[in-house]
This record gives sequence, C-alpha cells and structure tokens, in this order.
Amino acid sequence: MSDPDLYTALVASLPSSERLFFAKQPPLSRLRLNKRLAALSSDDARTLALVERLLSWAEYGMADDIGVVIARTRIALRDIAQPTLRAIVKERMELRTAIAALRMRQRGDSAPTGIWGYGRWTKHIVGNWADPTFRLDASMPWLRQAQVLMARKDPLELERHILDVTFQQLQRHAARHQFDFEAVVIYVLKWNIFDRWAQSNSEAAARRFSDLSLDALRDFPDLILEGGAQ
Amino acid sequence: MTEFVIALGWLGIFAPMALGAVASSIGCSIAGQASIGAMLETEGGYGRFVGISAFPSTFVIYGIVIMFTLNRDVTAQNAGGLFGIGLLAGIALLYCGIWQGRACAAAINASKEKPEIFGLALAPAAIIEGFGVFAFVFALVVSAGIPA
Repeated sequence: MSDPDLYTALVASLPSSERLFFAKQPPLSRLRLNKRLAALSSDDARTLALVERLLSWAEYGMADDIGVVIARTRIALRDIAQPTLRAIVKERMELRTAIAALRMRQRGDSAPTGIWGYGRWTKHIVGNWADPTFRLDASMPWLRQAQVLMARKDPLELERHILDVTFQQLQRHAARHQFDFEAVVIYVLKWNIFDRWAQSNSEAAARRFSDLSLDALRDFPDLILEGGAQ
Repeated sequence: MTEFVIALGWLGIFAPMALGAVASSIGCSIAGQASIGAMLETEGGYGRFVGISAFPSTFVIYGIVIMFTLNRDVTAQNAGGLFGIGLLAGIALLYCGIWQGRACAAAINASKEKPEIFGLALAPAAIIEGFGVFAFVFALVVSAGIPA
C-alpha cells in the first residue's frame, strides 16, 4: 500500500477520467499528461512504465512465443510492489486469455494444449471448450456479450465492449485509491483506454467517410478529381 | 515514581496543543496540495480552494484552548487525569485533522470539475469538524473535575 496522500497535487491537477469519454475535445493530451507525470518519483515512474508496457499491445509481436510472453509477465509482476497494480495486470491478462480463447474457437480451432494463456482460468477454459462462455458466466459475466459480438462479426463493437469491461475493472480498483500512486497508474491506464477508444472512433469515421465517398463517386465515373485522380 | 507520574501530567497538558498542531499541519498540507493541483486545471475560483485548504487549522486552536484549560500545578493527585484527558483529546484532534484534510482534498478534486457541488462536497469535512468539536468540548467539561 502506497502513501495515501503522496500524489494529491498530481491527481488534483488531472481532469476527471469520466470527462475523458464525454468531452468533444480531449481534455488532456499525452504530452500534457507526461508533463504532469514528471512529479512521480523515479521508482514510481519506472513502475508505471512497466505496467504500461505489460498492458500495451504495441509491446507484443505477432511472432512472440506465448511461453516467453507469460514468463516475461510473471517476472515483471515480481517487480511491482503494489497489490492493486498486480491485480490489475493479472485481470487484464486473464481477460485477454478469455478473448483469445473465443477467437481460437471462432476460427474453428480445437481446445489448445500446453501453455496457451495466462491466469487461473486456462485449464477451466480448455475443460469447457464447447460451452459458449466456457462456463465462466459467474466470474466473467461480460464474456457472453463478447461471444455474441464475435459471432456477429462486429469487431468495432467487440473492441468497445472490451474497452468498457476494462474501464469497469479499473473503476472498481479506483474506488479504493484517491491520491496515491495506484490512483495515478489507474488514471494513466484509463487515459490509454480513452486513447484507444478515440482511435477506434476516428478509424471508424475514416472508414465510413471513405465508403460514402466511393458510393457518391460511383455515380460520376467521368469525374476528374483534383490532382488528376479519377 | 512520583516524578514519572508528574511528567505524564505535563505530557497530558501539552499533548492536545502539540498533536493539534501536527493535525493542522498535515491536514492543511494535504488539502493545500489538492488546491494547488486543482488550480492547474481550472481557470478561476482559486480563492475557494485556498480557503478550504485552511479548514484543518481549527484543530490547533482547539488544542491550545484545551492546553490552557488543563494548565495548572501538576501533582501526583491530578497528573493521571491531566494525562488521560490531554493525550486522548490530542489523539482525537490528530485523526480529525488528518482525515479532514483528506476530505477537503476530495472536495476540492470533485468541485474543480463540478463547481455546483462545492457546498455539498464540504459536508464530510464539516461532519469531521463536528467530531473534533465533541472531543474539544468534552475535554473541557471533564477537565473541570480534575483537582487544581
């Protein structure tokens, strides 16, 4: 448990995490967030970077061996002293394991063998491979909706659903941390969710715009666009 | 042994003042840090934030009043009473001050986003103040029974 009042000024200087999702303009850029995070001690800054690295998809390559990834996670978890942060990382890895299992089954794979995921549910999932939610309704009630969205082949809604679940997990932990280091890390992780949320929105908007443009231009096959493109 | 009992009596006389000062300094520091942070994020209303930060300063005043009320020639007969009342009143003030500081910090953090809840957000801090006043008033009442 960190000093409960260690980062009072830092937390108070950040816009509320709820506002991140409702604002028309992002209330806090990563640049400004990083400036505020300069108030962290060097040890805490290192822990924050470690947690972000563990949870960032950008840090994982498609060709990474799952055994190596899990071993790396376990080693990194040993360096995180705060039980809340360890719990957050474990929950996120278990969420990813469950989603990975859904994807594998959707692809038509049979139950995986050997080391294939992280956390306490891996054996349980393999043992209940045929069940739509791997009989995890009680511990992962969000899995049913995820399974429906995956079956419907709606990746954008699925992504939002996962982000929503992740946000709720963080909210649950945030209730016990007001001004300590854990509160700062939880805020940054929420900011990352907001960032991905905003990106998924802008990507969807760009796709929609492109589709509409192509539809509209189809009626004018002889139209010469600026720059000579047709 | 008598000297030790008398020393405890003196400790009891000064404890509410010392612990009250610690309470106020920690409480004001916590709330003050929150107000500084909130000033970075808001465009105005800074005076309100600074005003709330000073809320926990009342505990040192209560401590001073209790100290003067308890202050008398310490004897083996009255040292126990002075020690018990002074120390426990001081501990009560200490906790009230620290937690009021945290309550004020939370109020500042919330009201920077929603200025309309400013008054309501102060309710927990006011309730904690009430508990501090209980400790203060009843320390005065009970101290009347300690032999001079």
